[in-house]
Amino acid sequence: MSTEDPQAPWLRVHPASPFVQGWIAILGLIFIYLQNTRELSFAERFAQERLPMTALIGGGLLLVILLVYFLSWYFTRYRITATHVYVNTGMIFRSQKQARIDKVQSIEIAQPLVARLLGLAELRFDVADGSSSVLRLSYLKKDEAAQLRRQILTLAHGQQPTAAVSVDTVDTPVPDIEDERQLVRVPPGRLIGSFLLRPGAIIGALLTITLLVLTIVGVGGFAAGLFPALLGFGGWFYKELNGGWNFTASVTDTGLRVAYGLTDTKQQSVPVRRVQAIEISRPWLWGSLGWYRMQINVLGTGSGDDGSESTTVVLPVGDVHAVAQIMGILLPNLGVAEQREVLLTALEGSGEQRGFTVSPRAARIFSPWAWRVQGFAVTPTTLITRHGRLGRRATFTPHTKVQGTSWRQGPLDRRRALATVRVHSAGGTVLGELEQIDSAVAAEFFEAQAQRASER
Amino acid sequence: MEPLPNNFVAVDPRYLTVRTISWALTSTLVLLVALIPALLGLLGAPIPGWLRLTLPLLVVLFALLELILLRRRVAAIGYLERDEDLLVRYGLLVRNQRAVPYGRMQYVELKSGPLERRFGLCQLVLNTAASAATATILGVPAAEGEALRERLVAAGEARMM
Repeated sequence: MSTEDPQAPWLRVHPASPFVQGWIAILGLIFIYLQNTRELSFAERFAQERLPMTALIGGGLLLVILLVYFLSWYFTRYRITATHVYVNTGMIFRSQKQARIDKVQSIEIAQPLVARLLGLAELRFDVADGSSSVLRLSYLKKDEAAQLRRQILTLAHGQQPTAAVSVDTVDTPVPDIEDERQLVRVPPGRLIGSFLLRPGAIIGALLTITLLVLTIVGVGGFAAGLFPALLGFGGWFYKELNGGWNFTASVTDTGLRVAYGLTDTKQQSVPVRRVQAIEISRPWLWGSLGWYRMQINVLGTGSGDDGSESTTVVLPVGDVHAVAQIMGILLPNLGVAEQREVLLTALEGSGEQRGFTVSPRAARIFSPWAWRVQGFAVTPTTLITRHGRLGRRATFTPHTKVQGTSWRQGPLDRRRALATVRVHSAGGTVLGELEQIDSAVAAEFFEAQAQRASER
Repeated sequence: MEPLPNNFVAVDPRYLTVRTISWALTSTLVLLVALIPALLGLLGAPIPGWLRLTLPLLVVLFALLELILLRRRVAAIGYLERDEDLLVRYGLLVRNQRAVPYGRMQYVELKSGPLERRFGLCQLVLNTAASAATATILGVPAAEGEALRERLVAAGEARMM
């Protein structure tokens, strides 16, 4: 397929695609059939007088399903030209979607369970043209999907592929645009370990034990109330586990790519220029293990399917080395010479080392443990904030990504000449916060930040 | 210590009237709800006397407190157009100040409720890509609001890239 050709051919997706999307319907039909003929034994279904009936129902249903599947497949077509991706679906209610290739932000490869069993994959295009829905192309063979992804990303970067890239022949060597190098891999054992040491998991475990004890003792009333809570916890547990299972982070030429998933393998590209803020945190029980978690604010990766602002996890658990590597990709220029030392100071330091300003003694009454830790540092490129004594947290916000600054002073703060300044960025919940700093320092920072925002 | 010298543009005096009317409406409504036990008591329900009185009294107390604070609260609201950003401030007990650079503005909304319209006022909402970095300018005369919006949009476009 020549990519310059505006009349590129329409192609069809893999013939098994309707099955991947509709296998549940087949299961449903079989279930209904079995439900309605429950009184019959297996032998009876195929006995003399019932055989034609069973065959007729079975055959008819199979035919209908196959026909629907065939039509669904027949009417699903896609086309990739030099400028656009088109996806047409639907027989009666037709939908024609298109996306401009130069607006494609990232392409995710997703593999639901059945698709994975069949070696198929879905391409999800995240397009920055204001449309909230994600363009999906499902399903292709895994290799084809990966190749198509590379090809479209090549086009999106405004380069022409050096070799004629064919979608049909997998053998053709593809110029590796996304020269990927795996940075971090999270082993399942570490993920589970890190998970069990999080406050949420501990509360959940206590809840489960309470529930068990109460049930054994025979107090049923409590169990009824705890059960929904436990279900909710289970959902959270699964979501967290799924979001970190087999987690890998790799370097691409535009930034970082993360892949994860227990039943669904999801991939997500994080272009460096769309990263708005970074948060590195360490729940208090992780302390002795030297583990950290990283999440970022990023614009338009379509990580939330509803298009909402959601924070993206770029490292569910990892050591300082992994953190430093990912930081090196996402925020290569901290604006200081000794980046690693500053990073370590932000993660583990306290007091006024390496340009940090912490809360004054007056804040001690409000934060008896954290007051020497909570603070901030301003480098030429980035605002760094640091929080917490037992559970640590540090945020990094590049000055160019700051959307607004707020200053806040409650009555108690006023009596102790303290104030809190917050620095807002887009694309997630990571917030740069200068907690309980001296009000003169806060005023000075507020002014300086306004100055930096205008310079950019 | 405030981050800035106090040369903010205060709200229009009519805005205090708007807020007073809206205070009166809300307070009346809450008071009516608070009077329900007393009414039920008069109709013969077995509600102790102290409960009939305490609830309405508490409501009246809080409403009066709000009324006393209202003038100062409204006086604490203000905005300031600077060269590169817009500042807004609000809050009496917990003081807040927010700076939104013109270059980060995505769009400016002009809003007015029925009461505000009646008194020829409006409010402006400046939105950025971050939902938390939203600045609201309250109690602006309608004509001034239009002009302010034009100025803000122009300033934003001049600094957009």
